[in-house]
Amino acid sequence: MKRLAAIAALASIATATACGSTGQENAGQGGIYTTIDGDKQINASAPINPFNPVGSVFDGYNGMALAWPKNDPIDPNQFYPAIARSWTSSPDQSEVVIHLQPNARWSDGKPVTSEDIRVSIGLAYTQGGTAYALDPKAAGAAATIQVVDPTTIRITQGANKSNTFLSNLLSTVVVPAHVYGSLLPRDFWQKLKLAQDGKGKPAERAKTEITGLADKVIGFAPRQDVSAGPFVLERINPGAALLKRNPYFYDSKLIGPDKVELLNYTGNQQIWNYLIAGKLDNAPFTSVPSAVLDRIRAVKGSQVIKGFSPVSTSLAFNQARKPYDNVHVRRALAYLIDRAQVTKIAAPEGGTPSLTTSGIHAEAAKVWLGSAFSGLDPYRLDPAKAAAELKAAGMTRRGNKWALPDGKPWKVEIHVPASFSDWISAAKSISSQLTDHGVDATVVTAADYTLYLSELAAGKYDVGFWLMGLGPSPYNIYQRLYGQANGWQMFGGRLEHVAPGTEGNWMGGPETVDVTGAGRVDPGALTSRLSFASAGEQKQIVGTLAKVSNEQLPVIQLWDYVNTQFVNTSRYTGFPPDDSEALRLSSGVWMQLGMIRKRQA
Amino acid sequence: MTKAVRDRPRGTALARRVTGHVVRGLVMIWVVATISFVIIREIPGDPVQGMYESLLQKGMSPDQAERATAVLYGFLPTGSLWDQYVGYMWSLLHFDLGRSLSTPGVAVTSLIGSAARWTVLPVLAGTLLSFLLGVIMGVYAAIKRSGKLGDLLALSGSLLHGIPVYVIGLLLTAIFTTLWPILPSGGPVDVAFVPGLNAGYIGSLIHHAVLPVVTYTLASYGGWILAMKSNVVAVLGDDFILAAELRGLKRGIVFRYLARNAILPLFTILALSIGMLFGGSIFIEEIFNYPGLGLLLVNSISTRDYALMGGTFLVITVGIVVANIVADLLYTAIDPRVRSGEAA
Repeated sequence: MKRLAAIAALASIATATACGSTGQENAGQGGIYTTIDGDKQINASAPINPFNPVGSVFDGYNGMALAWPKNDPIDPNQFYPAIARSWTSSPDQSEVVIHLQPNARWSDGKPVTSEDIRVSIGLAYTQGGTAYALDPKAAGAAATIQVVDPTTIRITQGANKSNTFLSNLLSTVVVPAHVYGSLLPRDFWQKLKLAQDGKGKPAERAKTEITGLADKVIGFAPRQDVSAGPFVLERINPGAALLKRNPYFYDSKLIGPDKVELLNYTGNQQIWNYLIAGKLDNAPFTSVPSAVLDRIRAVKGSQVIKGFSPVSTSLAFNQARKPYDNVHVRRALAYLIDRAQVTKIAAPEGGTPSLTTSGIHAEAAKVWLGSAFSGLDPYRLDPAKAAAELKAAGMTRRGNKWALPDGKPWKVEIHVPASFSDWISAAKSISSQLTDHGVDATVVTAADYTLYLSELAAGKYDVGFWLMGLGPSPYNIYQRLYGQANGWQMFGGRLEHVAPGTEGNWMGGPETVDVTGAGRVDPGALTSRLSFASAGEQKQIVGTLAKVSNEQLPVIQLWDYVNTQFVNTSRYTGFPPDDSEALRLSSGVWMQLGMIRKRQA
Repeated sequence: MTKAVRDRPRGTALARRVTGHVVRGLVMIWVVATISFVIIREIPGDPVQGMYESLLQKGMSPDQAERATAVLYGFLPTGSLWDQYVGYMWSLLHFDLGRSLSTPGVAVTSLIGSAARWTVLPVLAGTLLSFLLGVIMGVYAAIKRSGKLGDLLALSGSLLHGIPVYVIGLLLTAIFTTLWPILPSGGPVDVAFVPGLNAGYIGSLIHHAVLPVVTYTLASYGGWILAMKSNVVAVLGDDFILAAELRGLKRGIVFRYLARNAILPLFTILALSIGMLFGGSIFIEEIFNYPGLGLLLVNSISTRDYALMGGTFLVITVGIVVANIVADLLYTAIDPRVRSGEAA
């Protein structure tokens, strides 16, 4: 009987599978474009919701913003049109008027209107953020949102102006009001007004109610994807997401592929395997060792596109600890490190050795500083200068090792997270170079990046690796050196400098410093001004801060990142060229810009 | 005396035995849940800062990265450790493992449930396959231990037992996805197929499971064959085998005597292995991008997702405790000596 039941069950499965289709839906002539999302791994359990950080909404494909940021080295307000066809802004960005694409439609056929933008902004307020802060004192917060007509919306900035207001507005994620609108209570806009302009308990209560909506918004799970982008989510599993064309996309004729498959990955190695197998049409920036890169290059149709990436890596000091409180010691170390050698070992493809320490990526620094850039000390390898600096710091040479002024041995511990192979290689190279010059240096790894950051912020390290030069906004660039990590913080709209070792101040630099030609300056206050200064004043401040960074060396800038993209032209062509302003955007945005065409046989 | 009356003491003893196991199991689960709760919260590191810096490393602008991480703040556990513990235990009593920090808005039970199906099938298949192969080959290796086949089988077991699972996984990946690319390198199923009872989808599932299952089988086969061989050799020297041979019993019957007695200790290990499978196989899932419980646990640790970590630990604990109980009861069922001891 049991045997009979088993045979019957097997026969049923066999019949069902035989009668059923293969289950595969064919793509049209445009084919399936295969890539990965470099910003996040696929999480099939997450909702199809752009407000969820791991939601199944992918920028440029089924996720749309008002506009897409260009890879401009100095201007954060340069954008490509997306849902916003065009925009105008007053000189101080106090008012921005946005005109939507007249033909924009959601994937269910409904038009994209100003009301969708208003609801999207309302939902953005529940999440907080620069342009959508509830605190009326916050710089760069939107004040009023006015629907002018179905395709025009006017937004004004609050009293505390920011010169990145336009940039933050245009980055707004757009969702359909007919799907997400019910998440906002009927009296939401009155509550928002009360939270922003009111006083006392009612205002606080309104703020609490609005931020209390965050949980609901993030957890919201629409039953199906409704996208205004060129694609809409068809299916997702833990290994990949499949997106099909949105027939209502406003520029559908520009879109080449019929479908997009986004593969999931657990680490860089998996991306390398995909590339070596020729599976990906494009892979965004991934750190790759030289040997692997050679194998990827050998694949038929494989090409590498390179461009500007506004990020640099540095060796940062805890200046609250001896002997790193002494600028001569920091300079000596800068003269002892061969940055070209470090970069060659750590990031041969993904970085270029920093020309000097200015706080800014060299590409952007040249534009910001002009001829003044060449006037900065390049800190080329010079053991003699290093020795002079160490002597000036009171260090003594005992045998073949340098010792602290009190005669005790000097041991430099360079801290890095174990998960960053390029930083570990760099740290080992630096340690080896310093040891060759009589400085006893060792590399200490933290178990993971989260632990590393936690211990760094707690002031447990003397010397560690630190990301910097995060452009294009000059405020963001110098915030990494003269912001919270170095003691400057906003308290109730007022900038204050806290003592080293408190409130996350692990860099421990002085509040004011003397700079050649500028006298005594407060780098944190200057950095803060960058967020609202005019273009002319920004240039002046950047010049001063570059000089402060170059003379004081709170960090030693090691290498500037290069955005390295991998493409395979076997199936598709028309990828952006080297140094394209679109390089850091997703393939979906490239398609919206008319790139990526199916290769003709 | 009727059969029912005869069976009553044995039934009562069994019930008492099962109850004892369940109570001990529940205590064990509570202890492990408490210990893991404390340990997890003592892990240093700020998940929000970690996420923000990781996004910067990927080239995201500070504003974008801040927006992406800011939403997580509302989900950080707050309150004193004791308050959190009381809340955690209260939720556990209601089978609520909380909500994930790394996948905001999604219940931990839902994440564990979807990861479990990708772990159970390949690991269970790998465990059973390796057990079957190991046991059969172990018996042959013992019987033919003075011949070349026996040596070869024992050698294969020793070799595979000594190679770490990630080495086997990477080797198979290199061979079958790069040198001779006939198998997929990652993912549980091709997204191009519509999920359901259709040949394409089922075929794709099997196609993607081949490498993880083979890796798991090869990695655990060595242990089974060596253990089985050693057990069989020990049993071969027992008097009852000699008696059976002297009585002229058929080889098949002698083989059955041999196998039944030699396999007993392995059943306990098998039951425990099946319990352990809820922990997934971290290396295999990592190498083949197989989204099971092992990978879920690793990701939860790196993102300091306390709720998910606690939930995953708990599922593994429950799996092992249940497996222990099952192993003990199974032993009672299959070994008459234990049964008679119990009845006495």
